[in-house]
Amino acid sequence: MSLFKLHLPVLDDIKSQGLKSALIAKTDEAVERLTAGLNIGEVRSVLRGDPPSRPNPRVKPHADGFWMHIRPTFFHNKVMALHPTYRLGWLAVYFFVIETITGLVLMLWYTPSPLVAFENMQDILSNVPFGLLMRDLHRIGAELMVIVVLLHMLRTFITGSYKKPRQFTWFSGGVLLMLTLFLSFSGYLLPWDQLSLWAVTIGASMAEATPAIGREVNLLVRGGPDFGTNGLLRFYLLHVFALPLIAFIFISVHYYKVIIHGHSLPPSDENVGEDTARKVPMPVRSYFLPDVLTKEVYWVALWTAVLVFMVTVGNWHAPLEPHADGQVTPLHTTAPWYFLWLQGMLKLGDKVFWGVIAPGILSGFLFVMPYLEVGPSRRYVDRRIGLSVAAVAVAAFSALTYMGTPYYAVSSSPDQEVVAVLVPQTHPGPLRATPIGELPVGEYKASAWSSAPTSGLKELLELFNHELHKFQEELPDSEGLMIIEDWQPGMKKITVQVLWNSGEDTFSQNVYLHQDSNYGE
Amino acid sequence: MTWRTVLGTLFIVATSIITAFWAINEPARMADTAAGFEGRSIEAGAALFENNCTRCHGIKGEGLPGLAPALNTREMFNGTRLANLGWAGSLEDFIHGTVASGRPVPSEGTTYPQRMPTWSQEFGGPLRPDQVRNLVDFIINWEQQHDLSATAEKDATESGPVTPVVDAIGTDLAAPDLPSGDAATGEQLATTLGCVACHIQTDVGPGWLAEKDPNGEGIGVRAAARIAAQDYTGAATTAEQYLRESIVRPDDYVVDGYPPSTMVMTYGDQLTSQDVADLIAYLMLLK
Repeated sequence: MSLFKLHLPVLDDIKSQGLKSALIAKTDEAVERLTAGLNIGEVRSVLRGDPPSRPNPRVKPHADGFWMHIRPTFFHNKVMALHPTYRLGWLAVYFFVIETITGLVLMLWYTPSPLVAFENMQDILSNVPFGLLMRDLHRIGAELMVIVVLLHMLRTFITGSYKKPRQFTWFSGGVLLMLTLFLSFSGYLLPWDQLSLWAVTIGASMAEATPAIGREVNLLVRGGPDFGTNGLLRFYLLHVFALPLIAFIFISVHYYKVIIHGHSLPPSDENVGEDTARKVPMPVRSYFLPDVLTKEVYWVALWTAVLVFMVTVGNWHAPLEPHADGQVTPLHTTAPWYFLWLQGMLKLGDKVFWGVIAPGILSGFLFVMPYLEVGPSRRYVDRRIGLSVAAVAVAAFSALTYMGTPYYAVSSSPDQEVVAVLVPQTHPGPLRATPIGELPVGEYKASAWSSAPTSGLKELLELFNHELHKFQEELPDSEGLMIIEDWQPGMKKITVQVLWNSGEDTFSQNVYLHQDSNYGE
Repeated sequence: MTWRTVLGTLFIVATSIITAFWAINEPARMADTAAGFEGRSIEAGAALFENNCTRCHGIKGEGLPGLAPALNTREMFNGTRLANLGWAGSLEDFIHGTVASGRPVPSEGTTYPQRMPTWSQEFGGPLRPDQVRNLVDFIINWEQQHDLSATAEKDATESGPVTPVVDAIGTDLAAPDLPSGDAATGEQLATTLGCVACHIQTDVGPGWLAEKDPNGEGIGVRAAARIAAQDYTGAATTAEQYLRESIVRPDDYVVDGYPPSTMVMTYGDQLTSQDVADLIAYLMLLK
């Protein structure tokens, strides 16, 4: 008598059916378990693109499997084409996944402390295999995610898909738009370079404008009067924990609503006031297996290739400026591009009104819009006012975004502006990108650019001269000087000097340039 | 559906190929990027030096007589300066420490009226730790300006009253042969190197003097006895060799009751064979 008996049923099967047929039956069973309902024959027929038998065995995984039950069994043929959805909602989720994966990798080498954060960034770029690739993918994914989410909202508005019964889907989408913006914004601070510190400082300056409790809100956001150890930790925790968690919850809610109401059909395909997305007749169904799944796998392959191509062959790289310095504000600092409209509004006047009240009303209206705009028709011809308002809004936001840039209503001294064209403070710029060998020792005049000894220097001096001409009125009788000296082994000192009023007034700035610095833009 | 399958497969293959090329080039790219950050650190250090250091140390680190010493000199980089100070660490550590925490006490033999202030925020100065590192990188970068090859060193010695470069003894016990030592110089050396702090003034290391030893034997007596001891793990066969070994290879044998790796490990790179001979001559007198 043994304590337990080892019993392998497969051995019994082999005994009764023979080795070959028993193994085939077992494999078939395993495949059916893994696919939650499809046997080998059916998988093969899916892969071959055979039409399903009736009743369709390919709906079983949607009932039995967890992942498949999240996805609908079939779509309407009308929403399978690129129009009307442009896959923008799907793409937003794709980028959310890409951001999560690359973000988790980056987290391994990052410590949220001003003492080491910047050094960590340099190590990720110079000492972690694929570190640069991961960071670039994370950054470009974030930028594209903001664009995709905005376009998704615009598309939903244009096709009138926010109308009854999808008002709450729109509302949850509004929450996701805010989350996307703040996810991107909170990540902006983490590299702790000059770019991130000042962009986020400007972005967060709205907090101060909060009526009555501005000081408290400011302290809460920044963790102190200025960003420092506490502020960085707060933004880090928001970025890697709080915001992704809330986003995950709202993506789930949003998608549940999308599925429960069905993807809205193109407006012209339905009678006014009808919503037939849930009643899809048999002949116009596209089943998830295999049609939708194939498309989605194809899109994953396509977009991953596009992203990888952009950051490798395309040479697109996330910027990393010098270490953050709370004492030195770089000229031309701006908020991240998706908050430039806010910076533009602030230039219109009162900080409390334009910085808090107006954006508050606008975003509030965004959320409740579907409950206020209750016209029954989704057709373009019936929605002239709504579509015009949308067009005006897009134009207004574009104009405000332009107004948020330093090109609009920022007065700084023209001599500094001229030098900043050659040696900008927010990115490397043309002088630093010039190979050090193109900068021979000597003293050069901008007006004599055509006789410069190297082509690189010629281009710089011509640009210098051109900029001086732009400011002829403010800088009368001006001349630009560039003095290049050997300073240390492998390093040159370049003094860029503007002289005007016949040399009575001068402004100059030094740049040190090391041969290895590799700013190449 | 077929074109999607084909195109999708092509995309996956293309992504894999690009990533593979990226992987092949990754070590070179990382080295370039690291050199780039080093270069940018030197640039940042140059700007910091211009704003904070030139008033005392000169525009190009040439020093201002009577105010502050030169930094951009041969002695700084050939080891003479460190040897004169008895500094046990690397040049980088020396510069880093001096910039970060300043010099509350001037170097022996100098009479500069001002103290070097502390610069790092860690010690109450104005600069962030990364800025101190920028300055160190900038100052170290002057090294390449000085030809430190043996012939250049010889020329420099012949042309001026410069202390010769340290011809370090190394950690080999057999070579080079030791010259004859001078006990008085050795005693002086034991003070400037700081040996006395642990071996005479406190009992961090085995005491040299007879009165500190339980058996009343000085290091000069014990050195001969150690090599015959049961637990001796070193390679020395004479008392002199034992002392040499203890100076340049301190961990080869650690006296029972003392932790290993406490003694400075870099004397082999720092001391000349004459230094070691002098020290041994002094130690052998401590019976």
